[in-house]
Amino acid sequence: MPSARSSLGSLERSVMDVLWAGPEAGLTVREVLERIETGKDLAYTTVMTVLTRLADKGVLEREQDGRAWRYRAAQSRQQMTAEAMRDPLESIPHEEKTSAILHFIEEATPAEIASLRAALDAVETRAAEAPKATGQTESTSSRSVVPLRRRRR
Amino acid sequence: MTAILLVAVGVLLVTTAPRVLSALPGLRRSPRAALLLWQTTALAGTVCVIAAGPVAAISIWPLDRRGIDVAAALVALVASAQCLSLILVNGHLVGTTLRSARRRHRALLRLVGDDHRDGRLTIVEHHTPTAYCVPGRRRRVVLSTATLSELPEDELDAVLAHERAHLGERHDLLLEYFTVAHRSAPRWLRSDRALSEVRLLIEVLADRAARQRTGDVPLARALVRLAGSRTPEAMLGAADEAHVAARMDLLATRPASAWHAAGVYTLVVLVGLLPAGVLALTM
Repeated sequence: MPSARSSLGSLERSVMDVLWAGPEAGLTVREVLERIETGKDLAYTTVMTVLTRLADKGVLEREQDGRAWRYRAAQSRQQMTAEAMRDPLESIPHEEKTSAILHFIEEATPAEIASLRAALDAVETRAAEAPKATGQTESTSSRSVVPLRRRRR
Repeated sequence: MTAILLVAVGVLLVTTAPRVLSALPGLRRSPRAALLLWQTTALAGTVCVIAAGPVAAISIWPLDRRGIDVAAALVALVASAQCLSLILVNGHLVGTTLRSARRRHRALLRLVGDDHRDGRLTIVEHHTPTAYCVPGRRRRVVLSTATLSELPEDELDAVLAHERAHLGERHDLLLEYFTVAHRSAPRWLRSDRALSEVRLLIEVLADRAARQRTGDVPLARALVRLAGSRTPEAMLGAADEAHVAARMDLLATRPASAWHAAGVYTLVVLVGLLPAGVLALTM
């Protein structure tokens, strides 16, 4: 059931948003439930399930506070995003190198970047001389590729 | 006799051919044909080596000769079976590693990313311009907010066309296939340059899709803009050296003529016929 899975996925996302915006000390299940804005009524147990699962994965840390658990994010959003932008298989030995994700570009050294700029000049010069040879198709339909404003959910 | 020749041709295809092919940068001008040539070479080599055992066994049938022949045939059969199982085991290992890494990665993206356009595009909020794709089930292109804000529309189009070419043509499977072939070859026979060259060819192929969509200049500009932008913490030094420069140089040269590709395809057919040719010659 992909729909159920994706809704649970978006719930995970909402829970993380609440915890990242919340206090350092973390939040209880009840507090998360009060702050979460998904536009529909959530059951206490649903939120608790999501929090428990995230804690099991190591995404959240939790500690006992009186009779309730307090949950907080193990990493800041920035740290987690930086981790997401790295290839998860980057650390395996180079001769066995395989990629889980395909980057548009690998890192370049400053020297390489300088020579790239020079090469870019060559590309632009060639394009200016022979506009036909570049395979340029003037696409006047400037449909925006992506909504440029971030959609808050 | 046939078996010995098969092994010789197979070993030649598996070991020498990749070294020759990676020393021919001209092949990069017809990336699709070149990749097919790489695939055919690896496949033909594997077929030769694995077929050698059964062929040897058939050649001494019926077993009414001296024991030495029978022993030789048995050794050949066992060696073939070993090659085959090695490839299958490596295929399984590489496949599971990749798929579990992607699963973890998707779980991470669920927490920090915003999905757009029915989940085919994910935006993550970060100050470093980044673009990559996660192949496999529930494939997606991932961009950072910095990419959206720093790249003009046409460059963004080029980047997206590049990544969608990767996803649409399942370049990840190609890469997986070559990784398995690479791991299955003995360490002293294989060359890392071969795998690196295949990775480059895949990038060049995706670049070509982007060129056709937006022209050379937006793609070249996007390459330069994103090249220096990856954060130091993301650099573990495992980048394939000089790939970016090679892609850039290809953008500065004219695309190869149809003759060029036709020449490479001819080679593909010749290499593909090698195993059958060896059999026909000696039977």
